[in-house]
Amino acid sequence: MMPTIFIALFGAAAIWFGVRVFQTSSMVRSALSLLGAMAAIGGMFLAMEAEFLGVLQLMMMATEMSIMAIFMVMYMMDPGGLGQMDMSHQQREALAAGIVATLLAVAVALLVNWGTVAKEVDSTTVQLRALGIEIMERSMLLFETVGVTILVSMIAAIAVAVAREPKR
Amino acid sequence: MTMLLMIVPIVVGIWVVATLESWVSTGRFRPGRPLAAAVAMLGQESLVPRRPDRILFEIAPPILLAAGIAATTVLPLAAEVIVIDLATGGLFVNAAWVYVVVALIMAGWGPNGAYAMVAGWRFLAQLIAYAMLTVMPITAVAMRAESLSTTAIVESQASGTWNVITQPLGFVLFWLAAMAVAFLPPFDHPVAPTELAGGVTAEYTGVRLAIFRLGRLTLILTLAAAVVVFYLGGWLGPWLPASAWTAVKTLTVVAAMLWLGRWVPRVRSEHLMAWSWKLGIPLALVNILWVGVTLWAVDR
Repeated sequence: MMPTIFIALFGAAAIWFGVRVFQTSSMVRSALSLLGAMAAIGGMFLAMEAEFLGVLQLMMMATEMSIMAIFMVMYMMDPGGLGQMDMSHQQREALAAGIVATLLAVAVALLVNWGTVAKEVDSTTVQLRALGIEIMERSMLLFETVGVTILVSMIAAIAVAVAREPKR
Repeated sequence: MTMLLMIVPIVVGIWVVATLESWVSTGRFRPGRPLAAAVAMLGQESLVPRRPDRILFEIAPPILLAAGIAATTVLPLAAEVIVIDLATGGLFVNAAWVYVVVALIMAGWGPNGAYAMVAGWRFLAQLIAYAMLTVMPITAVAMRAESLSTTAIVESQASGTWNVITQPLGFVLFWLAAMAVAFLPPFDHPVAPTELAGGVTAEYTGVRLAIFRLGRLTLILTLAAAVVVFYLGGWLGPWLPASAWTAVKTLTVVAAMLWLGRWVPRVRSEHLMAWSWKLGIPLALVNILWVGVTLWAVDR
Protein backbone atom coordinates (compact mmCIF):
# COMPACT_ATOMS: atom_id res chain seq x y z
CA MET A 1 0.00 0.00 0.00
CA MET A 2 2.71 2.47 1.04
CA PRO A 3 4.69 2.14 -2.24
CA THR A 4 1.48 2.82 -4.22
CA ILE A 5 0.87 6.00 -2.20
CA PHE A 6 4.44 7.16 -2.78
CA ILE A 7 4.27 6.34 -6.50
CA ALA A 8 1.05 8.38 -6.73
CA LEU A 9 2.54 11.30 -4.78
CA PHE A 10 5.74 11.40 -6.86
CA GLY A 11 3.67 11.00 -10.04
CA ALA A 12 1.48 13.95 -9.08
CA ALA A 13 4.62 15.99 -8.27
CA ALA A 14 6.12 15.09 -11.67
CA ILE A 15 2.97 16.28 -13.47
CA TRP A 16 2.78 19.48 -11.40
CA PHE A 17 6.44 20.36 -12.11
CA GLY A 18 5.85 19.47 -15.77
CA VAL A 19 3.03 22.01 -15.92
CA ARG A 20 5.21 24.60 -14.16
CA VAL A 21 7.82 24.25 -16.92
CA PHE A 22 5.43 25.97 -19.35
CA GLN A 23 3.83 28.40 -16.93
CA THR A 24 6.94 30.47 -16.31
CA SER A 25 8.77 32.89 -18.59
CA SER A 26 12.05 32.51 -16.67
CA MET A 27 14.37 30.10 -18.43
CA VAL A 28 16.11 29.07 -15.21
CA ARG A 29 12.83 28.44 -13.41
CA SER A 30 11.61 26.46 -16.40
CA ALA A 31 14.75 24.28 -16.54
CA LEU A 32 14.72 23.71 -12.78
CA SER A 33 11.00 22.85 -12.87
CA LEU A 34 11.82 20.20 -15.42
CA LEU A 35 14.51 18.97 -13.03
CA GLY A 36 11.81 18.81 -10.35
CA ALA A 37 9.66 16.64 -12.65
CA MET A 38 12.61 14.37 -13.48
CA ALA A 39 13.64 14.06 -9.82
CA ALA A 40 10.03 13.13 -8.97
CA ILE A 41 10.25 10.34 -11.58
CA GLY A 42 13.48 9.26 -9.82
CA GLY A 43 11.43 9.14 -6.62
CA MET A 44 8.87 6.93 -8.43
CA PHE A 45 11.65 4.52 -9.41
CA LEU A 46 12.82 4.40 -5.78
CA ALA A 47 9.25 3.74 -4.62
CA MET A 48 9.12 0.87 -7.13
CA GLU A 49 12.32 -0.51 -5.54
CA ALA A 50 14.34 0.07 -8.72
CA GLU A 51 17.10 1.64 -6.64
CA PHE A 52 19.79 1.90 -9.31
CA LEU A 53 17.45 3.50 -11.86
CA GLY A 54 16.15 5.92 -9.23
CA VAL A 55 19.57 7.07 -8.06
CA LEU A 56 20.84 7.28 -11.64
CA GLN A 57 17.81 9.35 -12.65
CA LEU A 58 18.37 11.75 -9.72
CA MET A 59 22.07 12.11 -10.58
CA MET A 60 21.95 12.39 -14.37
CA MET A 61 18.98 14.73 -14.56
CA ALA A 62 20.48 17.25 -12.11
CA THR A 63 23.57 17.57 -14.32
CA GLU A 64 21.64 17.63 -17.57
CA MET A 65 18.99 20.12 -16.52
CA SER A 66 21.66 22.46 -15.09
CA ILE A 67 23.51 22.40 -18.40
CA MET A 68 20.22 22.86 -20.26
CA ALA A 69 19.50 25.91 -18.09
CA ILE A 70 22.62 27.72 -19.25
CA PHE A 71 21.87 26.94 -22.90
CA MET A 72 18.33 28.27 -22.49
CA VAL A 73 19.69 31.43 -20.88
CA MET A 74 22.24 31.84 -23.68
CA TYR A 75 19.84 31.41 -26.59
CA MET A 76 16.62 33.04 -25.41
CA MET A 77 15.99 36.74 -25.94
CA ASP A 78 14.47 37.28 -22.48
CA PRO A 79 16.01 34.62 -20.19
CA GLY A 80 14.75 36.15 -16.94
CA GLY A 81 11.20 36.53 -18.23
CA LEU A 82 11.16 40.09 -16.87
CA GLY A 83 10.80 41.76 -20.28
CA GLN A 84 7.17 40.56 -20.69
CA MET A 85 8.14 39.05 -24.03
CA ASP A 86 5.75 36.43 -25.41
CA MET A 87 7.86 33.48 -26.47
CA SER A 88 5.00 31.20 -27.52
CA HIS A 89 4.04 30.55 -31.13
CA GLN A 90 1.91 28.15 -33.23
CA GLN A 91 -0.37 27.70 -30.24
CA ARG A 92 -3.15 25.79 -32.02
CA GLU A 93 -0.74 23.28 -33.57
CA ALA A 94 1.03 22.84 -30.23
CA LEU A 95 -2.29 22.24 -28.47
CA ALA A 96 -3.33 19.66 -31.07
CA ALA A 97 0.05 17.88 -30.86
CA GLY A 98 -0.18 17.88 -27.06
CA ILE A 99 -3.66 16.34 -27.04
CA VAL A 100 -2.70 13.67 -29.59
CA ALA A 101 0.48 12.78 -27.66
CA THR A 102 -1.42 12.57 -24.36
CA LEU A 103 -4.07 10.31 -25.92
CA LEU A 104 -1.34 8.10 -27.40
CA ALA A 105 0.45 7.83 -24.04
CA VAL A 106 -2.82 6.96 -22.25
CA ALA A 107 -3.64 4.42 -24.97
CA VAL A 108 -0.22 2.77 -24.57
CA ALA A 109 -0.65 2.67 -20.78
CA LEU A 110 -4.10 1.09 -21.00
CA LEU A 111 -3.79 -1.21 -24.02
CA VAL A 112 -0.36 -2.79 -23.53
CA ASN A 113 -0.32 -6.10 -21.68
CA TRP A 114 2.08 -5.34 -18.83
CA GLY A 115 1.99 -8.92 -17.49
CA THR A 116 1.26 -9.85 -13.90
CA VAL A 117 2.19 -7.43 -11.15
CA ALA A 118 5.33 -8.56 -9.31
CA LYS A 119 4.58 -9.45 -5.70
CA GLU A 120 8.23 -9.34 -4.64
CA VAL A 121 11.23 -7.56 -6.07
CA ASP A 122 14.77 -8.97 -6.15
CA SER A 123 17.27 -7.33 -3.81
CA THR A 124 19.20 -4.40 -5.28
CA THR A 125 22.40 -6.45 -5.42
CA VAL A 126 20.66 -9.08 -7.57
CA GLN A 127 19.14 -6.33 -9.74
CA LEU A 128 22.53 -4.68 -10.25
CA ARG A 129 24.11 -7.98 -11.24
CA ALA A 130 21.30 -8.72 -13.70
CA LEU A 131 21.62 -5.22 -15.17
CA GLY A 132 25.39 -5.58 -15.57
CA ILE A 133 25.06 -8.94 -17.30
CA GLU A 134 22.33 -7.56 -19.58
CA ILE A 135 24.56 -4.64 -20.61
CA MET A 136 27.67 -6.76 -21.08
CA GLU A 137 25.94 -9.60 -22.96
CA ARG A 138 22.72 -9.18 -24.90
CA SER A 139 22.66 -5.37 -25.10
CA MET A 140 26.41 -4.93 -25.59
CA LEU A 141 26.15 -4.22 -29.32
CA LEU A 142 23.29 -1.78 -28.80
CA PHE A 143 25.12 0.17 -26.09
CA GLU A 144 28.37 0.29 -28.05
CA THR A 145 26.54 1.47 -31.18
CA VAL A 146 24.70 4.18 -29.30
CA GLY A 147 27.88 5.23 -27.46
CA VAL A 148 29.94 5.54 -30.63
CA THR A 149 27.09 7.38 -32.39
CA ILE A 150 26.89 9.93 -29.58
CA LEU A 151 30.67 10.35 -29.60
CA VAL A 152 30.71 10.90 -33.37
CA SER A 153 27.90 13.44 -33.16
CA MET A 154 29.74 15.28 -30.36
CA ILE A 155 32.94 15.44 -32.42
CA ALA A 156 30.93 16.57 -35.47
CA ALA A 157 29.17 19.27 -33.43
CA ILE A 158 32.49 20.57 -32.11
CA ALA A 159 33.97 20.53 -35.62
CA VAL A 160 31.02 22.55 -36.91
CA ALA A 161 31.10 24.96 -33.96
CA VAL A 162 34.84 25.72 -34.00
CA ALA A 163 35.28 29.16 -35.51
CA ARG A 164 37.57 29.29 -38.50
CA GLU A 165 40.07 32.06 -39.00
CA PRO A 166 38.81 34.28 -41.81
CA LYS A 167 40.97 34.13 -44.95
CA ARG A 168 43.04 37.23 -45.50
CA MET B 1 19.43 4.86 16.88
CA THR B 2 22.11 4.85 14.19
CA MET B 3 20.69 8.17 13.10
CA LEU B 4 21.44 9.65 16.56
CA LEU B 5 24.84 7.94 16.63
CA MET B 6 25.67 9.68 13.36
CA ILE B 7 24.37 13.17 14.22
CA VAL B 8 26.84 13.81 17.07
CA PRO B 9 30.01 12.99 15.06
CA ILE B 10 28.71 15.00 12.10
CA VAL B 11 28.05 18.07 14.26
CA VAL B 12 31.45 17.76 15.97
CA GLY B 13 33.05 17.19 12.56
CA ILE B 14 31.43 20.35 11.16
CA TRP B 15 32.71 22.34 14.13
CA VAL B 16 36.27 21.02 13.64
CA VAL B 17 36.13 21.76 9.87
CA ALA B 18 34.93 25.31 10.60
CA THR B 19 37.74 25.81 13.15
CA LEU B 20 40.33 24.46 10.71
CA GLU B 21 39.00 26.68 7.92
CA SER B 22 39.24 29.84 10.03
CA TRP B 23 42.68 28.75 11.26
CA VAL B 24 43.88 28.35 7.68
CA SER B 25 42.41 31.64 6.47
CA THR B 26 43.25 33.88 9.46
CA GLY B 27 46.33 32.09 10.86
CA ARG B 28 44.83 32.07 14.34
CA PHE B 29 43.55 28.96 16.12
CA ARG B 30 40.24 29.94 17.76
CA PRO B 31 38.00 26.94 18.58
CA GLY B 32 35.23 29.26 19.79
CA ARG B 33 35.05 31.18 16.53
CA PRO B 34 32.57 28.94 14.62
CA LEU B 35 30.03 29.30 17.44
CA ALA B 36 30.57 33.05 17.70
CA ALA B 37 30.26 33.40 13.91
CA ALA B 38 27.05 31.34 13.92
CA VAL B 39 25.51 33.45 16.69
CA ALA B 40 26.55 36.64 14.88
CA MET B 41 25.04 35.44 11.60
CA LEU B 42 21.79 34.34 13.22
CA GLY B 43 21.50 37.75 14.90
CA GLN B 44 22.17 39.59 11.65
CA GLU B 45 19.35 40.94 9.49
CA SER B 46 18.67 38.57 6.59
CA LEU B 47 18.37 40.92 3.63
CA VAL B 48 16.47 40.19 0.42
CA PRO B 49 17.94 41.90 -2.65
CA ARG B 50 15.82 43.99 -5.02
CA ARG B 51 13.65 42.01 -7.51
CA PRO B 52 15.03 38.57 -6.69
CA ASP B 53 13.78 35.25 -8.04
CA ARG B 54 12.38 34.66 -4.59
CA ILE B 55 11.78 30.90 -4.79
CA LEU B 56 15.28 30.08 -6.05
CA PHE B 57 16.83 32.60 -3.64
CA GLU B 58 15.10 30.99 -0.65
CA ILE B 59 15.58 27.29 -1.47
CA ALA B 60 19.23 27.41 -2.62
CA PRO B 61 20.84 27.29 0.88
CA PRO B 62 18.53 24.49 2.16
CA ILE B 63 19.25 22.44 -1.00
CA LEU B 64 23.01 22.80 -0.44
CA LEU B 65 22.57 21.65 3.16
CA ALA B 66 20.28 18.78 2.08
CA ALA B 67 22.85 17.62 -0.50
CA GLY B 68 25.54 17.51 2.21
CA ILE B 69 23.29 15.68 4.67
CA ALA B 70 22.13 13.19 1.99
CA ALA B 71 25.77 12.33 1.25
CA THR B 72 26.47 11.63 4.93
CA THR B 73 23.73 8.98 5.06
CA VAL B 74 25.65 6.47 2.93
CA LEU B 75 29.13 7.05 4.37
CA PRO B 76 29.96 4.60 7.18
CA LEU B 77 31.56 5.67 10.45
CA ALA B 78 32.25 2.02 11.35
CA ALA B 79 31.19 -1.42 10.08
CA GLU B 80 27.62 -1.20 11.44
CA VAL B 81 27.42 2.56 12.00
CA ILE B 82 25.81 3.88 8.83
CA VAL B 83 22.40 5.47 8.32
CA ILE B 84 21.47 3.47 5.20
CA ASP B 85 23.81 0.92 3.63
CA LEU B 86 22.51 1.29 0.06
CA ALA B 87 23.64 -1.27 -2.50
CA THR B 88 24.19 1.75 -4.78
CA GLY B 89 25.99 3.85 -2.14
CA GLY B 90 28.90 4.83 -4.40
CA LEU B 91 26.45 6.18 -6.96
CA PHE B 92 24.11 7.76 -4.42
CA VAL B 93 26.89 9.87 -2.91
CA ASN B 94 27.54 11.29 -6.39
CA ALA B 95 23.85 11.95 -6.92
CA ALA B 96 23.86 13.97 -3.69
CA TRP B 97 26.91 16.01 -4.76
CA VAL B 98 25.32 16.88 -8.11
CA TYR B 99 22.67 18.88 -6.23
CA VAL B 100 25.47 21.19 -5.06
CA VAL B 101 25.54 22.53 -8.63
CA VAL B 102 21.76 22.93 -8.65
CA ALA B 103 21.94 24.84 -5.34
CA LEU B 104 24.76 27.09 -6.56
CA ILE B 105 23.02 27.89 -9.85
CA MET B 106 19.90 28.82 -7.85
CA ALA B 107 21.99 30.90 -5.43
CA GLY B 108 23.65 32.58 -8.41
CA TRP B 109 20.47 33.33 -10.36
CA GLY B 110 18.11 34.00 -7.46
CA PRO B 111 19.45 37.26 -5.96
CA ASN B 112 19.45 39.18 -9.28
CA GLY B 113 23.06 40.28 -8.81
CA ALA B 114 25.89 40.30 -11.35
CA TYR B 115 28.62 38.81 -9.15
CA ALA B 116 26.38 36.02 -7.92
CA MET B 117 25.22 35.12 -11.41
CA VAL B 118 28.74 35.00 -12.88
CA ALA B 119 29.81 32.82 -9.94
CA GLY B 120 26.86 30.44 -10.32
CA TRP B 121 27.50 29.80 -14.00
CA ARG B 122 31.22 29.48 -13.31
CA PHE B 123 30.45 26.59 -11.01
CA LEU B 124 28.52 24.91 -13.82
CA ALA B 125 31.71 25.12 -15.91
CA GLN B 126 33.56 23.65 -12.95
CA LEU B 127 31.06 20.76 -12.85
CA ILE B 128 31.82 20.00 -16.49
CA ALA B 129 35.49 19.79 -15.47
CA TYR B 130 35.21 17.66 -12.35
CA ALA B 131 32.11 15.50 -12.98
CA MET B 132 33.87 12.66 -14.80
CA LEU B 133 36.76 12.75 -12.33
CA THR B 134 34.48 11.94 -9.41
CA VAL B 135 32.63 9.12 -11.17
CA MET B 136 35.47 7.34 -13.02
CA PRO B 137 37.76 6.78 -10.00
CA ILE B 138 34.74 5.46 -8.03
CA THR B 139 34.15 2.99 -10.90
CA ALA B 140 37.66 1.59 -10.36
CA VAL B 141 37.11 1.39 -6.59
CA ALA B 142 33.82 -0.46 -7.16
CA MET B 143 35.61 -2.86 -9.55
CA ARG B 144 37.87 -4.03 -6.72
CA ALA B 145 35.02 -4.30 -4.20
CA GLU B 146 32.70 -5.88 -6.81
CA SER B 147 30.03 -3.69 -5.22
CA LEU B 148 28.86 -0.09 -5.05
CA SER B 149 28.02 -0.40 -1.35
CA THR B 150 30.30 1.86 0.69
CA THR B 151 30.73 -0.71 3.47
CA ALA B 152 31.68 -3.38 0.91
CA ILE B 153 34.23 -0.94 -0.54
CA VAL B 154 35.88 -0.51 2.87
CA GLU B 155 35.80 -4.27 3.52
CA SER B 156 37.47 -4.90 0.14
CA GLN B 157 40.49 -3.02 1.53
CA ALA B 158 40.64 -5.15 4.71
CA SER B 159 42.52 -7.98 3.04
CA GLY B 160 45.74 -6.62 1.64
CA THR B 161 46.34 -3.00 0.90
CA TRP B 162 44.26 0.15 0.86
CA ASN B 163 43.13 1.54 -2.47
CA VAL B 164 45.49 4.50 -2.13
CA ILE B 165 48.39 2.03 -2.66
CA THR B 166 46.77 -0.06 -5.40
CA GLN B 167 45.12 2.85 -7.25
CA PRO B 168 47.32 5.91 -6.61
CA LEU B 169 46.24 7.59 -9.84
CA GLY B 170 42.56 7.28 -8.98
CA PHE B 171 43.29 8.62 -5.49
CA VAL B 172 44.96 11.80 -6.80
CA LEU B 173 42.22 12.42 -9.37
CA PHE B 174 39.41 11.83 -6.88
CA TRP B 175 41.10 14.03 -4.27
CA LEU B 176 41.37 16.96 -6.70
CA ALA B 177 37.82 16.43 -7.96
CA ALA B 178 36.59 16.36 -4.34
CA MET B 179 38.24 19.72 -3.70
CA ALA B 180 36.53 21.07 -6.83
CA VAL B 181 33.11 19.78 -5.69
CA ALA B 182 33.49 21.59 -2.36
CA PHE B 183 34.82 24.67 -4.22
CA LEU B 184 37.85 24.79 -1.96
CA PRO B 185 40.84 26.88 -3.10
CA PRO B 186 42.35 26.67 -5.73
CA PHE B 187 38.94 25.74 -7.22
CA ASP B 188 36.92 28.39 -5.34
CA HIS B 189 35.40 30.01 -8.44
CA PRO B 190 31.83 30.23 -7.14
CA VAL B 191 32.89 32.29 -4.12
CA ALA B 192 36.21 33.80 -5.31
CA PRO B 193 36.58 36.39 -2.49
CA THR B 194 39.22 38.42 -4.28
CA GLU B 195 37.43 38.89 -7.61
CA LEU B 196 33.70 38.28 -7.13
CA ALA B 197 33.29 39.57 -3.57
CA GLY B 198 31.87 36.30 -2.32
CA GLY B 199 30.23 35.21 -5.59
CA VAL B 200 27.10 33.15 -4.91
CA THR B 201 27.19 34.19 -1.24
CA ALA B 202 27.59 37.89 -2.07
CA GLU B 203 23.89 38.70 -1.65
CA TYR B 204 23.19 36.36 1.28
CA THR B 205 23.18 37.55 4.89
CA GLY B 206 21.89 36.38 8.25
CA VAL B 207 20.11 33.06 8.63
CA ARG B 208 20.27 32.26 4.91
CA LEU B 209 24.06 32.74 4.89
CA ALA B 210 24.34 30.62 8.05
CA ILE B 211 22.48 27.74 6.34
CA PHE B 212 24.67 28.15 3.25
CA ARG B 213 27.87 28.02 5.34
CA LEU B 214 26.60 25.02 7.28
CA GLY B 215 25.81 23.25 4.00
CA ARG B 216 29.28 23.92 2.65
CA LEU B 217 30.98 22.67 5.84
CA THR B 218 28.87 19.48 5.73
CA LEU B 219 29.84 19.09 2.09
CA ILE B 220 33.57 19.40 2.86
CA LEU B 221 33.18 16.82 5.63
CA THR B 222 31.38 14.33 3.36
CA LEU B 223 33.94 14.70 0.58
CA ALA B 224 36.82 14.04 2.99
CA ALA B 225 34.88 11.09 4.43
CA ALA B 226 34.37 9.77 0.89
CA VAL B 227 38.13 9.99 0.20
CA VAL B 228 38.67 7.97 3.41
CA VAL B 229 36.03 5.36 2.55
CA PHE B 230 37.10 4.90 -1.05
CA TYR B 231 40.89 5.08 -0.70
CA LEU B 232 42.13 5.18 2.91
CA GLY B 233 40.52 2.04 4.31
CA GLY B 234 37.58 3.73 6.05
CA TRP B 235 37.35 2.52 9.65
CA LEU B 236 40.24 0.02 9.29
CA GLY B 237 43.27 0.46 11.54
CA PRO B 238 44.94 -0.98 14.65
CA TRP B 239 44.52 -0.05 18.37
CA LEU B 240 41.87 2.68 18.13
CA PRO B 241 38.14 1.92 17.86
CA ALA B 242 36.78 1.78 14.29
CA SER B 243 34.82 5.03 14.39
CA ALA B 244 37.83 6.88 15.85
CA TRP B 245 39.88 5.82 12.84
CA THR B 246 37.25 7.19 10.45
CA ALA B 247 37.18 10.47 12.41
CA VAL B 248 40.96 10.86 12.55
CA LYS B 249 41.43 10.05 8.87
CA THR B 250 38.56 12.28 7.74
CA LEU B 251 39.77 15.30 9.69
CA THR B 252 43.34 14.74 8.48
CA VAL B 253 42.08 14.75 4.89
CA VAL B 254 40.09 17.95 5.57
CA ALA B 255 43.18 19.61 7.07
CA ALA B 256 45.32 18.52 4.12
CA MET B 257 42.75 19.83 1.60
CA LEU B 258 42.54 23.21 3.34
CA TRP B 259 46.34 23.41 3.73
CA LEU B 260 46.95 22.54 0.07
CA GLY B 261 44.62 25.29 -1.10
CA ARG B 262 46.72 27.90 0.69
CA TRP B 263 49.73 27.33 -1.52
CA VAL B 264 48.18 27.22 -4.98
CA PRO B 265 46.79 30.20 -6.92
CA ARG B 266 43.19 29.95 -8.17
CA VAL B 267 43.06 27.83 -11.32
CA ARG B 268 41.42 29.66 -14.21
CA SER B 269 38.12 28.19 -15.43
CA GLU B 270 39.30 27.41 -18.94
CA HIS B 271 42.57 25.89 -17.68
CA LEU B 272 40.64 23.72 -15.24
CA MET B 273 38.39 22.45 -18.02
CA ALA B 274 41.26 21.90 -20.45
CA TRP B 275 43.34 20.00 -17.90
CA SER B 276 40.39 17.92 -16.72
CA TRP B 277 39.37 16.84 -20.21
CA LYS B 278 42.74 16.55 -21.92
CA LEU B 279 44.68 15.10 -19.00
CA GLY B 280 42.30 14.07 -16.20
CA ILE B 281 39.86 11.91 -18.15
CA PRO B 282 42.58 9.98 -20.09
CA LEU B 283 44.36 9.37 -16.77
CA ALA B 284 41.09 8.19 -15.20
CA LEU B 285 40.71 5.72 -18.10
CA VAL B 286 44.30 4.54 -17.56
CA ASN B 287 43.41 4.07 -13.88
CA ILE B 288 40.39 1.89 -14.75
CA LEU B 289 42.51 -0.16 -17.16
CA TRP B 290 45.29 -0.50 -14.57
CA VAL B 291 42.86 -1.68 -11.87
CA GLY B 292 41.26 -4.12 -14.30
CA VAL B 293 44.61 -5.60 -15.28
CA THR B 294 45.90 -5.86 -11.69
CA LEU B 295 42.65 -7.47 -10.49
CA TRP B 296 42.81 -9.93 -13.38
CA ALA B 297 46.48 -10.72 -12.65
CA VAL B 298 45.72 -11.29 -8.92
CA ASP B 299 42.79 -13.54 -9.82
CA ARG B 300 44.94 -15.80 -11.98
